[in-house]
Order: sequence, then C-alpha cells, then structure tokens
Amino acid sequence: MKNEQMTVRENKTIAEKTYEMTLSGPLVEHLVNPGTFLHVAVPGDDLVLRRPISIAAVDQDAGTCTIVYKEEGEGTKRLSRCRAGDSVDVFGPLGKQGFPAEQPSPGDDVLIIGGGVGVPPLYYTARELAKRDVSVSVILGFQTATAVFYEQAFRELPDADVRVMTDDGSNGHAGTVIDALNERPSPPDWLFACGPRGMLRAIEAHAAHSKTNGYVSLEERMGCGIGACFACVCETGDHTSYRKICRDGPVFRFKEVVL
Amino acid sequence: MTGVDPRLHVTLPGLTMKNPVMPASGCFAFGREYAELFDLSKLGAVAIKGTTGAARLGNPTPRVAETPSGMLNAIGLQNPGAQAVRDEELPFLEGYDVPVLANVSGSTPEEYVHVVKTLTTAPNVGAFELNISCPNVKEGGIQFGTDPEAAAALTTAVKAVSTKPVYVKLSPNVTDVTAIALAVEAAGADGLTLINTLVGMRIDASTGKPVLANEKGGLSGPAVKPVALRMIHDVRQVTGLPIIGMGGIQSAEDVIEFLFAGADAVAVGTANFSNPFVCPTIIRELPAWLDQLGLESIGAFREQGANI
Ligand SMILES: Cc1cc2nc3c(=O)[nH]c(=O)nc-3n(C[C@H](O)[C@H](O)[C@H](O)COP(=O)(O)OP(=O)(O)OC[C@H]3O[C@@H](n4cnc5c(N)ncnc54)[C@H](O)[C@@H]3O)c2cc1C
Ligand SMILES: Cc1cc2nc3c(=O)[nH]c(=O)nc-3n(C[C@H](O)[C@H](O)[C@H](O)COP(=O)(O)O)c2cc1C
Ligand code: FES
Repeated sequence: MKNEQMTVRENKTIAEKTYEMTLSGPLVEHLVNPGTFLHVAVPGDDLVLRRPISIAAVDQDAGTCTIVYKEEGEGTKRLSRCRAGDSVDVFGPLGKQGFPAEQPSPGDDVLIIGGGVGVPPLYYTARELAKRDVSVSVILGFQTATAVFYEQAFRELPDADVRVMTDDGSNGHAGTVIDALNERPSPPDWLFACGPRGMLRAIEAHAAHSKTNGYVSLEERMGCGIGACFACVCETGDHTSYRKICRDGPVFRFKEVVL
Repeated sequence: MTGVDPRLHVTLPGLTMKNPVMPASGCFAFGREYAELFDLSKLGAVAIKGTTGAARLGNPTPRVAETPSGMLNAIGLQNPGAQAVRDEELPFLEGYDVPVLANVSGSTPEEYVHVVKTLTTAPNVGAFELNISCPNVKEGGIQFGTDPEAAAALTTAVKAVSTKPVYVKLSPNVTDVTAIALAVEAAGADGLTLINTLVGMRIDASTGKPVLANEKGGLSGPAVKPVALRMIHDVRQVTGLPIIGMGGIQSAEDVIEFLFAGADAVAVGTANFSNPFVCPTIIRELPAWLDQLGLESIGAFREQGANI
C-alpha cells in the first residue's frame, strides 16, 4: 500500500462514457494481484472520499498501469477531464483477496464473466492467466453496442474464446451473460466474475457446482478503503459474521458472503 | 525516539501525549490497518472505535454517502463488543507507545457502565470518551447527548466505576452545547471532546430515495469545521476543562485554528480517508507553526492566553 502522485500518460474514451486511463509511477511495482483496486483521489478539495477503481492492466516493463472507469457522477467526470502529464493522487493497491490467477492449470476450463464496468479487473486476470499458458472462455455483457469495450483486447489473448452479449442485441448476441452461461454444456473448473450485484447473484445461483471454483468481485460504497471504517461490509454466507469488501475482498469465493 | 519535538507535548487527564494529534473514534478502527502504513507510536493518542456491551453488526449498506466537502455515515456502531475489544484489540495497541482513548457507546446507562468496567483494567487505556449521541432506548428515544440531566446522570454512573479519567463527547445536535458541557462538568467529567457528527440526510434525485440505507447519517469532514470551532469556542468560555477538539481537521493549519478556539488537543476523523497519512503529516508540520506564531509550545496556547 502506497500513496503517490501518479502521472497520467493517457486518458481516452473507449466506449460511451467509458474512459481508459494509463498511469505511471513507482506504485506500479506493487501491482501484482489481479482483482485488487486503487483508491483514487478526485481532483478538487470538495470531494473528500476517494473513488475505488479496479486495476485493468499492468505493464511492469513500461512502468504503467491502466484503469477503466465509467462516468457515473461528479468524481468520475472530473477524472475524465485529466490530461496526459497531470498528476492523480492514488492510494493502493487495496484489497487482500483478488482473483487467484495463479491457481488454474493449463488445460483447465476457465470461464470469465464480466458485466459493464465489471470487465476491467477480469482483463488483468485473463492476462495473468495467459502468461501461465492458461486459456480462457470469456462472456462479456453490456447494455448496448456503444457500451462495449475490450472485446478486441480479450480476443487478442492466446486461444481465448470470447462471446459478447448485449441486452438489445446491437452487438454480439442478444441476451444476458446468464443466457450465454446456460448454453455451456458443462460446469467450468474455474469461474471468475465481476459486474452488477444482480448479475453476480444469478451467476452464483446458476453456476455454484461442486466442480466449479467460483469467485466474484463485489462493490460497495467505501470510506477508508483499508478496513478501518466499517463502511463496506457484507454478511458471511452463514449469516454469523461479516467481511469488509475493501480489505477481505474485493473478491470472494462463491457462498463466502451473501450477494 | 527520534523525531519527537518536546514542544508538542501535551499532558491531559489520563493522556500523556507526545503531540496533540490523535485519530478520531470510528475513523481508525483499533489501529491495525493504519499500523501497516506508519508507526502508531508517532501519534499523540489513539481514539478507538465506539465499543458497546455486546458485539454489534451495525446498519445495512450503503453506510456512507458523500456531501459537499464532507460525508454522511451510518455505520451503526459495528464493533466486536467490550470483552473482545479488551482481549483481542487493545493488546495489539499495547505494542505501540501510545495511550488509548476508549470510546464507549450504549443504549442504557447500564451498558456504558458495563463497557467501562470491562475496559478500565486494560493497561493502555488512558481515559474514556463517552459517546452520548446514541439513542437512549430507556428514555424513549431521547439522546443522552441532548438532555443535560441524562448526560450528567450517565457521567456520574460511569465515574463511579472507572479507574481512568472520563471525557464526555458532546453532540452538536443541540441548541446550547454549553448547557450539556456544564452539566457533565458538575457531574465529574474530567474532560470534553467535541464535536460528534451532525445528523444529516441525502436523497437520490433520480429515485427520491435516501442514499443511506439508514436514511439519516452523521455529517463529518471539512463542511462541519466552522460549527466545531464555534462550539469549542463557546464551551471554552464557560469551562476550564480540557477539550479535545475535532470536526473537519485536515491540516496543521486547521489544528492551529482549533487550539486558538480553545482546544488542548485534537482528533482527526474523515481526513484519514482522503489522506491515510494525514495524522503523521500534521504532526510533522506543527513545529513550523509554533515557530511562525512565536509560541514556545502547544501548551502555550493555554498558558499565554492565546485561546481567544
Ligand atoms: C472495489 C471496487 C472496484 C471498482 N472498480 C471500478 C472500475 O474498474 N471501473 C468503474 O467504472 N467503476 C468501478 N467501481 C465503481 C466506482 O467506484 C464508482 O462508479 C465511482 O466511485 C463513482 O464515483 P462518482 O463520483 O462518479 O459517482 P457519485 O455517484 O457522484 O459518487 C458519490 C459517492 O458514491 C460512491 N460510489 C458511487 N457508486 C459507487 C459504486 N458503484 N461503488 C462504490 N462506491 C460508489 C463514490 O465513490 C462517492 O463516494 C468500483 C467500485 C469498487 C468498490
Ligand atoms: C465513519 C465514521 C465512524 C464514526 N464512528 C464513531 C464512533 O464509533 N464513536 C464516536 O464517538 N464517534 C464516531 N464518529 C465521529 C468522529 O469521531 C468525529 O467526531 C467526527 O467525524 C468529526 O470529525 P471529522 O470531521 O474529523 O471526521 C465517526 C465518524 C465517522 C466518519
Ligand atoms: S471502506 Fe472502510 S472498511 Fe471498507
């Protein structure tokens, strides 16, 4: 965990209201775990809470990392206005549990499901898997064609099988990621998912199979990002305790917490 | 230890502090997380998360919302309960050379007494801070913090069992904060801390629904600083009790403002979220402020009548 002024190398639109920002700085060396996130301070003193944003890619050789964010409100709007050369105050990496990209073996059936701005941490995960010669099946879900991003990036991964779903059928297949999941003949060995809570709930309900090691990445409004304020809790699957999404997650095993 | 400037020393009832800066209750849990970022021994003290008799799971999420220059929180006093705090959390802080201000919450006077009895034997608890802004179930929803008599009775009950000095944390959600201050002083309080959060609300304009699951929450952050300064100033006019001031502090300059207003020490809450290193940074910057003001020490604010 480091707090640093990172330099914006590039900040560009990649889909409707969706931006890709490349950052550089010594903090990059600490980014080793896909699924972890950065706590980004928004320019301007009036917004006191940082914005949690997943790490979408890391390039250690270039000393850069990439985040992809959707303009949702004032904070992400201000980030979208940053230009190359600007500084952004970043704290991270945060989260103790990311996607276990080091576990699947080559030949395992690894399924990745991303919905909307849930896609970025899965791209980082897929790249780490590719480094270990583990190929992936990918289902990406978006509302409509103008929202689609990273389809090509996933297709460029070795042996990746990529399927895009849009709610209105304007790109790829019409339907949801659950429709695509249901068409698969057998349960995967590994399933990594990130997206809206409802989507994750449906995935867990459809894919919680004894053969499948399932992991989901969760979002919650955060204060501190490190486990000190108790803002971002969720109940454990047995309803007896809680986990902090920022510290114990943001990735949890199927059934570990109540979605 | 290196880096300790003797001019920053502050001695308050139960709290011998290397400097006047502590993290505020609820914004620092029990120190474990921030201990990964910096040496907690650098702090003047640590105010721990509000502790209740039994473990509490707190409120549903979302528990925080942002507001202009501030935030609302409705955590709901999530904590592992007094016994677990005594056995599992306080020993961790014993590993650091820093006194603990134990923040105590409850629904009934009996619960406060129970928590204080449980924690008062912990060697590193220097003093208690009574969080009196929680709903008092027994009194039909009146808050201890808004009723001078209830606040005084609670202070008396806790003083009877505590072997450590007792600070009372005042709520800003009152018309006349000095009345509560005087009532708890008469009941034997050793010090005051203020302010707690201001009750507020946000509504999502697209749905018409409150943003927080609990509907209402406590406002903190820079937005409340003027209110905090005014209340500390008002309370300082009526009492000589030690005051730990808080509410929107983000910088060494803010701390100086609080010392001028009448605080003897300060707590930093929300600013830890925007800048996790804010406490050590402020501590590092304070000596330059003393130089600039021509003051010999933090204590000089009181001794030389610098408090306005
Ligand atoms: C672990 C984690 C990883 C995330 N990764 C990404 C990502 O890679 N790309 C992306 O586009 N979004 C991501 N999000 C969601 C992103 O944090 C929010 O969209 C963003 O904070 C909204 O800020 P805003 O100022 O634009 O919106 P506003 O609505 O103006 O924000 C107001 C407040 O609510 C908080 N907030 C609003 N929505 C969310 C949310 N969904 N989750 C948490 N806090 C929220 C903000 O942080 C802020 O404090 C992630 C969230 C979490 C918890
Ligand atoms: C997330 C959060 C949790 C808090 N929890 C407690 C608590 O448990 N007990 C308490 O007395 N005050 C609690 N407070 C209030 C703070 O200690 C402090 O009085 C208040 O936030 C004002 O200071 P600030 O503006 O620097 O945050 C909490 C504040 C926040 C933001
Ligand atoms: S954001 Fe503070 S505990 Fe998770």
